[in-house]
Amino acid sequence: MPSFKEIKEGLFSYEEVDSGYVVRVKDAHDLLEAAKKVRDAGINRFDTFAPFPIHGMSEAMGLKRSWLPFITLIGGITGFTANISYIGYITLIDWPIIYGGKGFFNFPSMFPLFFEIMILFASLSTVGGFMALSGMGSINRKPPISEATSDGFAIWIGDAMPESEVKKILGSLAMEIRSVN
Amino acid sequence: MSLDAAKNAYTVGKSYGEIDNDILNPVEGFPEKRWWTWFTISLTGLLVYLGVIGYSFVKGLGIFGINSPVNWGVYIIGLVFWLEIGHAGTMISAILYLFRQRWRTSINRAAEAMTIFAVTTAALLPLIHLGRPWMVNWLFPYPNDRGPLWNNFNSPLLWDVYAISTYFTVSLFFWYMGLLPDFAAMRDRAVLGRNQLKAKTAIGEKLLDMRVWLLKVAALGWVGSGKAWHHYEKMVMLLAALATPLVMSVQSILSFDFVTSVVPGWHSTILPINFITGSIYSGFAMVLSLVIIMRSAFNMKAYITDRHIDNLGWVMLFTGMLVFFGYFIELFMAYYSANDFEQYVWTYRFVGDYAWAFWLTMVTILLPPHIMWFKKLRNNHTLLFIMTVIINIGMWFERFVITVTPVARDFLPSSWRLYVPTVWDVIVVLGEFAMFFTFFLLFVRVLPSIAFTEVKMDEAGDLAKGKGHH
Repeated sequence: MPSFKEIKEGLFSYEEVDSGYVVRVKDAHDLLEAAKKVRDAGINRFDTFAPFPIHGMSEAMGLKRSWLPFITLIGGITGFTANISYIGYITLIDWPIIYGGKGFFNFPSMFPLFFEIMILFASLSTVGGFMALSGMGSINRKPPISEATSDGFAIWIGDAMPESEVKKILGSLAMEIRSVN
Repeated sequence: MSLDAAKNAYTVGKSYGEIDNDILNPVEGFPEKRWWTWFTISLTGLLVYLGVIGYSFVKGLGIFGINSPVNWGVYIIGLVFWLEIGHAGTMISAILYLFRQRWRTSINRAAEAMTIFAVTTAALLPLIHLGRPWMVNWLFPYPNDRGPLWNNFNSPLLWDVYAISTYFTVSLFFWYMGLLPDFAAMRDRAVLGRNQLKAKTAIGEKLLDMRVWLLKVAALGWVGSGKAWHHYEKMVMLLAALATPLVMSVQSILSFDFVTSVVPGWHSTILPINFITGSIYSGFAMVLSLVIIMRSAFNMKAYITDRHIDNLGWVMLFTGMLVFFGYFIELFMAYYSANDFEQYVWTYRFVGDYAWAFWLTMVTILLPPHIMWFKKLRNNHTLLFIMTVIINIGMWFERFVITVTPVARDFLPSSWRLYVPTVWDVIVVLGEFAMFFTFFLLFVRVLPSIAFTEVKMDEAGDLAKGKGHH
């Protein structure tokens, strides 16, 4: 059973770039190495920026497992039970009526409805969960380097430290170091 | 392993910046004359279609050829046809994703767009067929002052309402979430380019600002953070895993409209399977025709390679044979069941009033994919394009045969009546195509028609393999 702190870290990991340094690196492979080095140096606040998902990056950054599947499961269960309750209420309590001799609440012939609403709720909660977990929605946010969505790779180190320390951690990987603000 | 060894048939071999430029070129430039010609034709068709729909609201459904035993004319044929086309898009974007098929990358965006537009086209049709489309809200079970008057939850027609609206919503979100990183890339290009662009008029300046603002809204503040990618990859996987059973269920539920009736020829347990194989078949035909046009029009041969076209063709050969197998089993079961009515449906299909449509279907859907066996023929993309068009015409007539023949001759000879489409029916069918192509033509000029973020990801994967990292 994960602790409350772990759940919270796994849920809301996204942080805005508001302090420290943005370091540009050469390519996806260097970014992966840089992430490993920064994590091993014990830096708390850092993030990587790349135009596409990099294989192995989550492990390199030491990210906690995403709780998104759990949110999907909750959404699916909610949809399924909510729809059973709603249709159950309608067909058993509010206006009981027999169609085609099938009984009031005929589970097999109503199953498609439960299934569809389950999928709908699960999908919507997945999308909503993703937006919340990765901090989507502030439309004026800018990437730390403008090429980060095209062909640039950068790592952000948010902890307060002198620039020489950043240089020491990243070594030759750092191509350009810029302090935020 | 060397870099060359890691290269495969799908490697683009361009820098990330070049990939952006190539794919965003049709979006950021002004459309050429050829596009305007096709767009004008499609848009005119769409406007005529909307006019006919409006006319049918005023005049009533009597203007169409539907009658008492054959209550479902072109509308339900169109619903089945377009939904099935849409399903192939989900097959490509979700099922091939789960199977880690690399070749889906270049075609999945266009295929998903096709899904959205096909489902939109399809969903409009039953609404018109309601007869009183202004009462469309009665389809949804919400607390009301009509009694309250609830829906019949045992009816497959209501399942359809649930299934199609869920399918549309989920497909739309899946598509949009896939577009998110691409929107962000477009936004950053637009912000950078805004300083260099200068419009001639004040309105032009406003429009350019508006474009930047719209892209900002569409990108939702995506900046490519590693923490966001972490959740993003999970989300795409989850949505794919949800869309897969969904697409199967929608197709089955659509076939339940037919299956749960007691009409011979419809009342058959094989129909859901036949609908699913048919949907992959006709949908892949549509994807293939769109991809062949797109690739030559926008010069995307580096992204959509000959191998992509080949793969789509092989899927069609396989599903084409599955469709044939389904037909064979249906026929065999009719024979083996010794049920007079069941057998009569097939006799009627073979030699009855609609025999022309049945044999047209058989020839146009069963024969064309077999050109894939011959290397010379399958490498000829013009021929493949003609094949896909023929197959789609055939699949439309297949739905026609399935929908019309069983009810035109059901149990009582006194109620037998033929369905003869009127000129309005024909306009509706052509209008559906006009609507679909209007949307698709707009799509290729407004949104990136290849998911370039995913293309870059695959390129990086090839590069890493070449250096021997994984």
